[in-house]
Amino acid sequence: MPLFEGLGSGGEKTAVVIDLGAAYTKCGFAGETGPRFIIPSEIQKPGQQQSIKVVQYNINTEELYSNLKEFIHTLYFRHLLVNPRDRRVLIIESILCPSHFRETLTKVFFKQFEVPSVLFAPSHLMSIMSLGINSGLVMDCGYTETLVLPVYECIPILSAWEALPLGGKAIHKELDGLLVEQCTVDSDSSTGQSLPTVIGSIPEEVVEDIKVRTCFVSDLKRGLKIQEAKFNLEGTAERPTPPPDVDYPLDGEKILHIKGTIRDSVMEMLFEQDNEEKSVATLVLDTLVKCPIDTRKALSENLVIIGGTAMLPGFLHRLLAEIRLLVDKPKYRDALATKSFRLHSPPAKPNCTAWLGGAIFGALQDILGSRSVSRDYYNQTGRIPDWCCLSSPLPESVYDAGKTPPPLMKRAFSTEK
Amino acid sequence: MASLLQPDRVLYLVHGEKKIRSSLSTLYFCRYCSELRSLECVSHEVDSHYCPSCLENMPSAEAKLKKNRCANCFDCPCCMHTLSTRATNIPAPLPDDPSKTAMKKAYYLACGFCRWTSRDVGMADKSVASGGWQEPDNPHTQRINKLIEYYQQLAQREKLERDRKKLARRRPYMPLAFSQHTIHVVEKYGLGTRLQRQRPGAPITSLAGLSLKEGEDQKEINIEPAQALDEVEPLPEDYYTRPINLPEVTSLRQRLLQPDFQPAGASQLHPKHKHLLIKRSLRCRKCEHNLMLYYFSVRIMSIPNLRFQKECQVLLTLTNPVESITHVTLVGCEEGDPEDINSTAKVMVPTKELVLAGKDAAADYDELAEPQDFQDDPDVVAFRKSNKIGFFIKVVPQREEDGDVTVSFKIRHDFRNLAAPIRPSEEDDAPTEAIWLTHHVELSLGPLVA
Repeated sequence: MPLFEGLGSGGEKTAVVIDLGAAYTKCGFAGETGPRFIIPSEIQKPGQQQSIKVVQYNINTEELYSNLKEFIHTLYFRHLLVNPRDRRVLIIESILCPSHFRETLTKVFFKQFEVPSVLFAPSHLMSIMSLGINSGLVMDCGYTETLVLPVYECIPILSAWEALPLGGKAIHKELDGLLVEQCTVDSDSSTGQSLPTVIGSIPEEVVEDIKVRTCFVSDLKRGLKIQEAKFNLEGTAERPTPPPDVDYPLDGEKILHIKGTIRDSVMEMLFEQDNEEKSVATLVLDTLVKCPIDTRKALSENLVIIGGTAMLPGFLHRLLAEIRLLVDKPKYRDALATKSFRLHSPPAKPNCTAWLGGAIFGALQDILGSRSVSRDYYNQTGRIPDWCCLSSPLPESVYDAGKTPPPLMKRAFSTEK
Repeated sequence: MASLLQPDRVLYLVHGEKKIRSSLSTLYFCRYCSELRSLECVSHEVDSHYCPSCLENMPSAEAKLKKNRCANCFDCPCCMHTLSTRATNIPAPLPDDPSKTAMKKAYYLACGFCRWTSRDVGMADKSVASGGWQEPDNPHTQRINKLIEYYQQLAQREKLERDRKKLARRRPYMPLAFSQHTIHVVEKYGLGTRLQRQRPGAPITSLAGLSLKEGEDQKEINIEPAQALDEVEPLPEDYYTRPINLPEVTSLRQRLLQPDFQPAGASQLHPKHKHLLIKRSLRCRKCEHNLMLYYFSVRIMSIPNLRFQKECQVLLTLTNPVESITHVTLVGCEEGDPEDINSTAKVMVPTKELVLAGKDAAADYDELAEPQDFQDDPDVVAFRKSNKIGFFIKVVPQREEDGDVTVSFKIRHDFRNLAAPIRPSEEDDAPTEAIWLTHHVELSLGPLVA
């Protein structure tokens, strides 16, 4: 409990909660109301100017190991300022995280930093914990992808997951393309130059900043009109009046003129249904169709949206409106009987909600202790249990009755009452 | 030795999990294992906390309470520079009275770099110089604390059930109906017996304790689950037509500095207390002792022009930092030495043992001291100055390449572990034994000159 921490009344020290995202990492301590730091998931090598992303799934193990080692080193000794050996670790992860990455991360924690125990918690399940409800349809709009996973009575319905690679990364790419195509740059020597002639390419941080400060999601009516105008080849559809242009300063002397049309149209890519007729909104409905019929009402009335991309102005309103529009379409009208959709507002910003759930879970010290993978277990077996791993856990007869029970890996995903 | 501009001229080989070659300034020495260690093979620990701007050392307990933030220093929310406290005089509403000062001092925070002030966000000026500014609270704190209490209760219940299952599991042959009655039987096995021994006569077992507690626990904390909303607030109508004032909108970096609020408008950016830094202490992984900096160094003094296949002499210096005499032997690497992978030149090292005088702190000031007499071979030893010695090695570059010419050899010297505990049983006052250490050194001598 936060009150007793300062008095040092003994007991275990609070656990460290880390949410290692593809773009940003949220780190802090269990039992607190928000992460201590939100830092980009990157490391700086001394020779190079370009920072290296830590969460990469395609690089070889050694490089990944050294990147993760350096990153976690800065996490502990620059930001959290605690000894790794004293505190348990709770890692919030996406269920689609590759096993190779997970295993390397575990190895870094156990071999390099010698933490007492590690627990991997799925982000969607943790978000439910931050609300005090048992069921919900959680949509995580992140950097690499948007992933939807329903959770019913504290158990994720793993077979009903849906994902689309529409996230921050895709938005940045589209925005970059539009800026290069349509916008002009004024430098001190010339005006009205096209972008590639003045600077080679815009760094991704700048694109991200432009996205955060100038772009927004229009509401349903306006958005549909913009999409119509874009795809209409005859040019008969009229585009609604664009918002005013913005002059964005680039490193000192150069000014980038961002056209108003870009500001509201770049986000439409999240809701445009491509050839497969999938958009961020259809993900929710497709998931509902996959879920068992009895669960659908509880899930549709408990929508939870987390992730950094969901913090765009106007996103939630548009998402809800799109879902309501789509549910009347013939594809879903007969499949889904439930027509009511309700949205939760968690007690934290959407990019910290999963972290907060983890912090609440991490504050339950006995539960955390019993479900974590301890260092001894890891040294004995050399592997960490995974939900997709088919080898069953060690039989209980290996441990004598009377000694500590084996870690309850089978229940690693559920919070029983 | 490494210098700021030429860091990697002299490299030492470290035998750790991986063989690492790095310069002496980044290496440490474990006195008890008598081995070199690099940053990779030691475990780091947090030693002490201090504030980077006021350099105040904070005890760990206080740092934990204050969430690793300094109490006095603030960071500018716009540019992350340190804020300084400025004072102005505010006229107090008193009639002009020459004997009393009618001006009151008011303090505000200002950034010297980007000109942000605390008045920009509407923070009122304070009448005390420090300690007056508070960071705003997270509005959700109460709800989150309630959630944590509720889940703690559930966790408690699960733990009790698990304990009950654990005890019941041990006697699978007992019919379930008896499990409540056979409390006395439980006393014979496991926990019950121990407890009974400790407190004879008192009602013991955890099973009995369980049922009592659950009956008593009337004040359960129930929380209301979060309510989902039907409608979300749309964007205001003028959002589409209003021009943006870009300096008013916070950048992502500024927002993420305040994870609890992440404000979009610059008028809500409050300053945060400055984050502390730490001093790390390093521990050898094998023997769990603290490490010291390694001190024995080879330095490259002067290099003549290196020509392919031509022999040239390179002058090296050795410095002896301890106060006793040290003996050094240099050994060239043999053919097929597994550690010798980088050398591109053959090297002839002096075969005789070199003797270095001890460091004498008063040598500079003591003019009457007699110089110690060492028999130096002028071919080998170039000069000798207190605890330094300069000697020649002959280098013959073997490969005509574009890269640097590298040579490697082994240095062998004696080391006295002054920190080791003195064995009390020894009668004669023998000095601590010397251990001979061997290190593999690589020198990078620069490119070939045609």
